[in-house]
Amino acid sequence: MNIEEYISTGVLEAYVLGELTPTQRLNVESKLRQEPTLREELRLIEQTLEAFAQRGAIKPGEGVRSALLSKLDGQKEAKVVPINSQPTKLAMAASVAIALLTSYLSYYYYRQYQQTSQTLGNLVAQSQQLAQDYSVVNERLDKMQNDLSIMGSAAFSRIIMKGTDNAPDAMASVYWNSATEEVYLSIHQMKALTQESQYQLWAIVEGKPVNAGVFDMDPGGLLAMKPVSGASAFAVTVEPRGGMPTPNMATMQVIGTMPKT
Amino acid sequence: MPNITESELVMKLKARDKSSLEYLYDNYSAALFGVISRIIRNEKIAEEVLQDVFLKIWDRISFYDPEKGRLFTWMLNVARNQAIDRTRSREINNDKKTSELESFVSAIEARGNEELATDAIGLDEVLNNLPEEQSFVVRQLYIKGYTHRELADEFDIPLGTVKTRLRLAMMELRKQLDIK
Repeated sequence: MNIEEYISTGVLEAYVLGELTPTQRLNVESKLRQEPTLREELRLIEQTLEAFAQRGAIKPGEGVRSALLSKLDGQKEAKVVPINSQPTKLAMAASVAIALLTSYLSYYYYRQYQQTSQTLGNLVAQSQQLAQDYSVVNERLDKMQNDLSIMGSAAFSRIIMKGTDNAPDAMASVYWNSATEEVYLSIHQMKALTQESQYQLWAIVEGKPVNAGVFDMDPGGLLAMKPVSGASAFAVTVEPRGGMPTPNMATMQVIGTMPKT
Repeated sequence: MPNITESELVMKLKARDKSSLEYLYDNYSAALFGVISRIIRNEKIAEEVLQDVFLKIWDRISFYDPEKGRLFTWMLNVARNQAIDRTRSREINNDKKTSELESFVSAIEARGNEELATDAIGLDEVLNNLPEEQSFVVRQLYIKGYTHRELADEFDIPLGTVKTRLRLAMMELRKQLDIK
């Protein structure tokens, strides 16, 4: 990691606010000794913090200053008790040594514990992110498998709808299962519409258009439409958003008839 | 003591020169009180904490190492930690009284729901110019007194993201406060 990247992690800000573990802090301090760039950055951060704090300054009540100063005057220096006898001295030394050792150990283990729990926290966060990514990918895969099984199924007829004079380049397909009445739409090419309008799919049943649902551009894979029975052809028109009960034939984009069997 | 340098000031403080603490109080008490008052809404308690902070600065000045950062940064952290500790001990006491098992974070949240009148002074003006996600992080850390980790846990933001957002916010504040 170069210096710029190191700075951009925000580690210096965390250092200034005393939010680092002792190990991280020592690491920052040794880097500061080596890198003038880092020291300059630290200076700017500290000045920003001070300016920010001064900006939010609030004057405390008048009484605080005098109370503080009189409390300071009242403070007495701690008395030093002389230690004379040799055995007491030794016992004192031993107890001090034990106290130092145990407090060092408890501090040491506490820090170890803190670091471990932080590492664990990071790992848990990472694994949650991975699980989330995985489920998104999995969902997409499920959809693709489902789409493929429809496209490959003998029960579904494919009706290719070709562009009309309105949109010569447009093309879309309907996969229709005449037994279960399921209808799926696949867009190959259709132009984007304005916010106010939407495409509407129609099934031609006994010469009359029947609404098979509205759709927007590119759903990414197959789009389930309304079930239809007895269709002889399918067509798509452009209608106001939400669709209409009857089609505006002048806007027809694509049309295709059931292949003869 | 008219404008003395920071290193002189630190030397005098370490030599237990009381006039240096007075100088410190006169120049920085309002900035520190601003920090404390945003975390502790009760003025009386905030003033107590401010006094404790200066006593602590006086007692602990020998631990301050100029190599590791500026004096103000050190004082700011003393103030911030003291204020946060105070809200926690107060909440623990309240919990005992009501024998209600409130989670720690929801206690902090309750604290933030009190009116934000003092924020109108100076800070909102600069914070409102920041993108929402950045000003949010600054407000939670600085004004409500969350630690990075609490913020990450409570709002389900990765810790690294908290750090980088704070970083971006500080860059923006640097521009707005014209720090060079």
